[in-house]
Amino acid sequence: MTDDRALVERFLRGRGEAAFRALYRAHTPALYALALRLTGGDPGEAEDLVQESWVRALTALRTFRAQSSLRSWLCGVLVNVRRGRIRADWRIIDAPDVEPLTDPTCPEDVIDLERAVAALPEGARDVYVLHDVHGYTHREIAGLLGIVEGTSKSQLNRARFLLRISLL
Amino acid sequence: MTNLPREAQPDAALEERIVSTLVATGLVRHRRVWPLWLAAAAVLVLAFGVTMLWPKHARAYGKTYAVLLYEDSTYRPAPAGHDAERVAVIARWADSLDAVGRFERAGRLRGPGPLGGLIIIRAADDADAARVAASCPFSKWGGRVEVKRFE
Repeated sequence: MTDDRALVERFLRGRGEAAFRALYRAHTPALYALALRLTGGDPGEAEDLVQESWVRALTALRTFRAQSSLRSWLCGVLVNVRRGRIRADWRIIDAPDVEPLTDPTCPEDVIDLERAVAALPEGARDVYVLHDVHGYTHREIAGLLGIVEGTSKSQLNRARFLLRISLL
Repeated sequence: MTNLPREAQPDAALEERIVSTLVATGLVRHRRVWPLWLAAAAVLVLAFGVTMLWPKHARAYGKTYAVLLYEDSTYRPAPAGHDAERVAVIARWADSLDAVGRFERAGRLRGPGPLGGLIIIRAADDADAARVAASCPFSKWGGRVEVKRFE
């Protein structure tokens, strides 16, 4: 948290390229992982999402308060950017086929789990990724996605149920 | 929580693409912004240079003088084709003055009259300026060297 605050303050002092690169390298891997999952594993779409998220984040960076971690705040920006994109173009929702898992302990099965997550219906996938992968609470997810906490919980249950079926 | 990796490395080109976009939109400044401590250090170094190096000469040689080179009747002109050698000799002398902060500028004077050259030097006082003028190699070719306070 302290490091994040220092990075943000350093950047805001001069908006210098070096300061931004430090922010970028600290947080982009997490943003990209989230973007990959929210886009169903599409690297091109995920990169575009990360790019737009940084643009939005830097525009609003002065509003960041260190009450939450910068990573959570940035991920929230990314989730909102994606929601805006979905509203603008529903055609981007396109998940790849799923291959069932047989042994969830080997690395190959981790890849299959990624595929299974990517194949979840959009609403369930968003909640699952934010809750079970990135550790957001239902309250936070409700705030990010503009839904009530009860919907977040039910979508998570639905996602877990679908994953169990697809991994049989 | 599901044990899926929470981080993934994007293509390295993404960083450059994003930086370019942010610079183009003005959200990031391309030029390097000096940290405050580095700027302060630069000011100190500059101040040290100004106060300890250049002013040393200024303090030691605080007055400006004109060394006038007259090509009068006693002057022995260089043989045809050897003017450049004399100019080079004067230039080396001027360089030696410059190395110790005593030289400002020099020029050859064109037009009628015996005054052939002017050298602006710095000296501590009149006597110091006279010593410098006397060291000018011009005098070995005859002629006359004068030194006057230049203000």
